[in-house]
Amino acid sequence: MSQKLNVRMKVNGKAYERQVEPRYLLADFLRHELGLKGTHIGCEHGVCGACTVMIDGRTARSCLHFAITVDGAEITTVEGLAREDKLHPIQQAFHENHALQCGYCTPGFLMTVTELLCRNPDPSTDEIRRALVNNICRCTGYANIVKAVAAAAEVMRGAAGRS
Amino acid sequence: MAASAAGTGYIGKSILRREDEYLLRGNGRFIDDLSESRDQIHLGFVMSPYAHARIVSIDDGAAKALPGVIDVLTGVDLAKIAKPMCTAIDLPGYVIHERPVLAIDKVRFVGEQVAVVLADSPYVAQDAIDLVHAEYDPLPVAADLETAREPDAPLVHDHIERNIIFRAEFKTEGFDQAFAEGEFVLKETFRTGRVAGVPIEPRGCLAVPDHVGDSLVFYSSTQVPHILRTKLALCIGCPEPRIRVVVPEVGGGFGTKAQIYTEEIVAAALALKYRRPVKWIQDRREELLTSIHSRDHRYDIEAAFGRDGIIKAVRVEVLTNAGAYSSYPFGCTLEPTGGARMLVGPYKIRNYAYKAFAVATHTCPSGAYRGVAQPSCFLTIEGMMDRIGRKLGIDPAEVRLRNIIPTRELPWVNVVGVRYDTGSYEESLRRALEIVGYNAFRKAQAKGHFVGGKYRGIGICNFTEISGAGAPGWRARGVAHLPGFDSALLRVEPTGKITVYMSHANSGQGHLTTFAQIVAEQLGADINDVTVVEGDSALSPYGTNTFASRSAVTGGGAAIRASAKVSEKMKRIAGHLLEASPQDIVLQDGFASVVGVPRMKIPFEEIAKTAYSMNNRGLPHGEDYGIEATDYYDPPLATMANAVHIAQVSVDAEDGRVTVDRYVVVHDCGRIINPVIVNGQIQGGVAQGLGETLMEELVYDSEGQLVNANLLDYLLPTALDVPDCEIGHIESPSTDTVGGFKGVGEGGIIGAVPAIANAVADALSALGVNINRIPLRPSYLSKLIRDAKGSAAAA
Repeated sequence: MSQKLNVRMKVNGKAYERQVEPRYLLADFLRHELGLKGTHIGCEHGVCGACTVMIDGRTARSCLHFAITVDGAEITTVEGLAREDKLHPIQQAFHENHALQCGYCTPGFLMTVTELLCRNPDPSTDEIRRALVNNICRCTGYANIVKAVAAAAEVMRGAAGRS
Repeated sequence: MAASAAGTGYIGKSILRREDEYLLRGNGRFIDDLSESRDQIHLGFVMSPYAHARIVSIDDGAAKALPGVIDVLTGVDLAKIAKPMCTAIDLPGYVIHERPVLAIDKVRFVGEQVAVVLADSPYVAQDAIDLVHAEYDPLPVAADLETAREPDAPLVHDHIERNIIFRAEFKTEGFDQAFAEGEFVLKETFRTGRVAGVPIEPRGCLAVPDHVGDSLVFYSSTQVPHILRTKLALCIGCPEPRIRVVVPEVGGGFGTKAQIYTEEIVAAALALKYRRPVKWIQDRREELLTSIHSRDHRYDIEAAFGRDGIIKAVRVEVLTNAGAYSSYPFGCTLEPTGGARMLVGPYKIRNYAYKAFAVATHTCPSGAYRGVAQPSCFLTIEGMMDRIGRKLGIDPAEVRLRNIIPTRELPWVNVVGVRYDTGSYEESLRRALEIVGYNAFRKAQAKGHFVGGKYRGIGICNFTEISGAGAPGWRARGVAHLPGFDSALLRVEPTGKITVYMSHANSGQGHLTTFAQIVAEQLGADINDVTVVEGDSALSPYGTNTFASRSAVTGGGAAIRASAKVSEKMKRIAGHLLEASPQDIVLQDGFASVVGVPRMKIPFEEIAKTAYSMNNRGLPHGEDYGIEATDYYDPPLATMANAVHIAQVSVDAEDGRVTVDRYVVVHDCGRIINPVIVNGQIQGGVAQGLGETLMEELVYDSEGQLVNANLLDYLLPTALDVPDCEIGHIESPSTDTVGGFKGVGEGGIIGAVPAIANAVADALSALGVNINRIPLRPSYLSKLIRDAKGSAAAA
């Protein structure tokens, strides 16, 4: 076992400081050090996207980062999306469109879609599908996820228009 | 709406899932998310790098010296505390064999576990695995299905001659004469690649002993908690009452998690040995190497038919790759018996003969992946329908219609004795042809298959989906240790709210919602007052659990039967309180009322308080306290759902890539509980079938090395590959089962494989290429296209 190093990061707006081995994965750090178990591990080699989180506003595979390499970063995980009393519009759209079955890949999809709709509030179906290619779902066959993203985009555009 | 109670209309509605919110918030608790204790041991398995070898020695010195390593154990050590796995199949022609939970003398596939390390963290466990030095004496390998039966092939088990673990034969009376009467005979070989379920969550388990050390709470990402509990008890010698199996959220199953695995037995045995919690979480490489594989089939079929395209007789030889050991509980017989028995599908095939074999090879054991044999056997029979059409110049849809079982002839008992009570074979086909605009497509295609650099084709799969098998179904396939029934325990609590304990365990199917729909409707309760609990052997009555498109049929039936008992008692108490006859009581919207006198009513809560003696009213004379009923439901041999899938594809002439341009499904799963969930099952199944047909394949080389045990090389369909299915429904409620439900879990994948393969074959038919194997990867198709063009140019 190698020497532990100090790492600090802000996760979902809250500051954390821990000592971890240099080889400790960000995914394991979030899950086991911070107890944020909504980030799931599906392949540990960067293909399936279940572990997708935001690092400084951009999606990344938390299984391909060591915790110490994101020292000082701001991380958003699936736990950072909803409010206490209300789902995020993307989550709500997933619910209304039956866009999840087992729910294991879902947190990763939610992060990918959050980034997509932040950059492109009105994506075409083709643009949605191209963004979703970062994540693998084995249950749904994607159709309802695509529908949910379009529905969420519409709701979020409406909300942005009102504010 | 057939309801014993007043019928609140929940069945048949697309009620949104109550599972969603916590999963969307990231609050689902999967096996690796359960809270950890400080003294927890993490397991890591040392896997064989050889497909066939004698274990010479295992040196664990360096691993044991590593700080944080608690112990390293080998097969010899584990044999002292865990019995070997063994799958008894009650069929002639099956050869029984054992698998120690860790290999002892010999390894028989790459990935077979030879040692287990116990460490205080998963990182240390991984380090320790690398430090265990096992020495092997490699032996010759039989990895290939088609050569493993040859006389000189290396044997996987010394006592299994020619590696044939199982063989079966069947022939109808007068078969040879009927076959000879066919004016035409077509012969073809179909070959399917080896695939796997690949749930996004790998497998895992957590065994927690109690403080006394003689009982165990065993958490597992399993689809079969009761079957697992019994098997654990038998293998580790712990009395069954002292084992409680709990299933947390499960991140996809697809049959992969419906088997009992050696790692589970090892974890349970070690938790009792060390009196500490033992946790094991599989990584993806292990998942692809050791979780059951599926398909890898060869079908040699001959069909005799007349000038009118009507089939006189069919003969088939089914060859399936069992892998190194027969998996538990289904055994390696599931695929050959399934394929041979289901191949006749929705057709009037009366003269039928099959031979079926399961062949042992030095590869990962095969098991029950979604659809089991059906994608292969329908690829075969549906491929023959197209070939008959091409041979005779009759449209393939017309060939099917001429051979189909007409609805007026139902119920139908097929040639191997499976009864089809209701169905819509012809109606589903006609409706699907209409939705897709089949005639218009054919008209356009008549001008040429090649448009804009792509070959365009259309393919049909018309099939039956075996679902909800009861005890007779499992006995017919030799699986005597699998019960067949499922169960429901209903309890009206003192507050009038209802708890339903189901024997099932879901992995994404939405049971917490759909079973609540059934019970609320049957009891006339508000659905929000019904809570469904499953996946805990301490709470739910015993059952066969969740796989093979069975939960709606078996659980639905059990829930209806238990509801009827509860409903009767509630009516007796309500009648007593309202001074009316129980026959005149109606349960609706959470109230019991007297029929025709709606103002005479009491809420369920009042009935419950009375039942629990928590008011001044008193129970009727002779009535017991509480309101609770358990009931079981064992359906018939099989409940046959049916569907038609039609795929419209284009094949790029340059790179051989297949695009599915349109996809139509007309499905009949009897009475539908929740349409949105049903459609989700179909769409998801189609995606898996598309993967199986166009990209997925686990490739073993001649040395038995799995060359693509990662998700970069084992390709899964993405959002850019899978089309939106256009789904239509026909409901022909089952008349043989309680509730009228038929299963829907596997139809998507069963139909997609033949439909897409046939569409590709149709697209390339003008080139004269023969599409008879999957997967149809771009490299394979582009070579076929190039060769066909080359030979055309040379001619």
